[in-house]
Amino acid sequence: MEPIKNVRLSKGILEMKFMKKSREQVLKDQEDAESQEMYSREITEEMKKSGHTIFREASMTICKGLADGRLSFGGVNPEVEKLMEATYNKALAEAQKREEKDVSDEHMAKGYSTLVNTVNNKFKTKKAKNKKFQKPNAAEPLI
Amino acid sequence: MVASTDLGFFLPGEVIKDIESKDKYTIIGPGLRRNEEDPNSLVATQAGRLTFRAPNTYWIESRRNRYIPKKGDLVVGVVTKKSGDILKVDIGCAEFAWLSLLAFEGSTKKMKPNVNVGDLIYAKLLNAHKEMEPELVCVDQYYKSGRLGVLPNEGVLINITLRLTHTLLNAENPLLRTMAKKFPYEIVIGVNGKVWIKANQAKDVLTLCKAFEAAELESEKSIIEACRQHK
Repeated sequence: MEPIKNVRLSKGILEMKFMKKSREQVLKDQEDAESQEMYSREITEEMKKSGHTIFREASMTICKGLADGRLSFGGVNPEVEKLMEATYNKALAEAQKREEKDVSDEHMAKGYSTLVNTVNNKFKTKKAKNKKFQKPNAAEPLI
Repeated sequence: MVASTDLGFFLPGEVIKDIESKDKYTIIGPGLRRNEEDPNSLVATQAGRLTFRAPNTYWIESRRNRYIPKKGDLVVGVVTKKSGDILKVDIGCAEFAWLSLLAFEGSTKKMKPNVNVGDLIYAKLLNAHKEMEPELVCVDQYYKSGRLGVLPNEGVLINITLRLTHTLLNAENPLLRTMAKKFPYEIVIGVNGKVWIKANQAKDVLTLCKAFEAAELESEKSIIEACRQHK
């Protein structure tokens, strides 16, 4: 059975008193469809113009990740200093942490992976270490 | 802050190709615009060094000193005119910015903040288009003022270069903290180059001004080195 497409109530029925709710629904659907159409058209046009990459313009504040400019030092404005804790001081602590880290994450990962191999070697039995292909004894029958 | 890389010197009109992007998105800062002819490239509109920050941000680092307003910037301005509910604020760009008296925390039609001509204001740019005058607000999206608003009358306003404001607002730059070890002070740095300083003594304000003057000509590395000596 095919689904019924675009079932619409006639204008006369929608204007009846008891059809108030469905009339609202129908109007809302219509509006949604219209706005979606408008929106999709806009996007496709923009996509065509910009090709693959979409460029978004931003201020220098965002580009460089600049801090909020209102700062207080030495307790001149305690209110501002309280707000600074969450932003300025946090960024500062992160920067210091990065500086203090004498072994970088990459270096650590590299070193650790070789360490795993050496420890692994230690636990290997002698047999497993010099495992070589051995010739079968010629005198011994194969079956 | 992720370190940025220098990609060489560009002149206005030069086409920049091989743009890196993340999920087909690239953020471009001042000095760049989209190339209409070739969809995947940019054109420089300013002379300066092209800078890239991972994963997808590009901008031109130049010595331009004219402030061009951009949405979301935090600026310091001087109130120059008051008519009805609207203030005109000088933020150092081509036009006066527009600030409604209702855009302060807790202000209503009946209860408006007391702002006079000549007052200093620390505000956020809500709108900045080429064709319109910029619009300021003194509240965030939750209608809280936070650090924005009218600045007290006990300070000094100076102008510094835009390049220096970027240097100072980098949280990793130790200049402000080194000065704070010598004396307490409060400072408001707008990205438009206007700076408001408040300290206990006039001498301290002058010391800060001198420090900024010296830092303007120095590179970031030498500033850090000089600050290390004063530890």
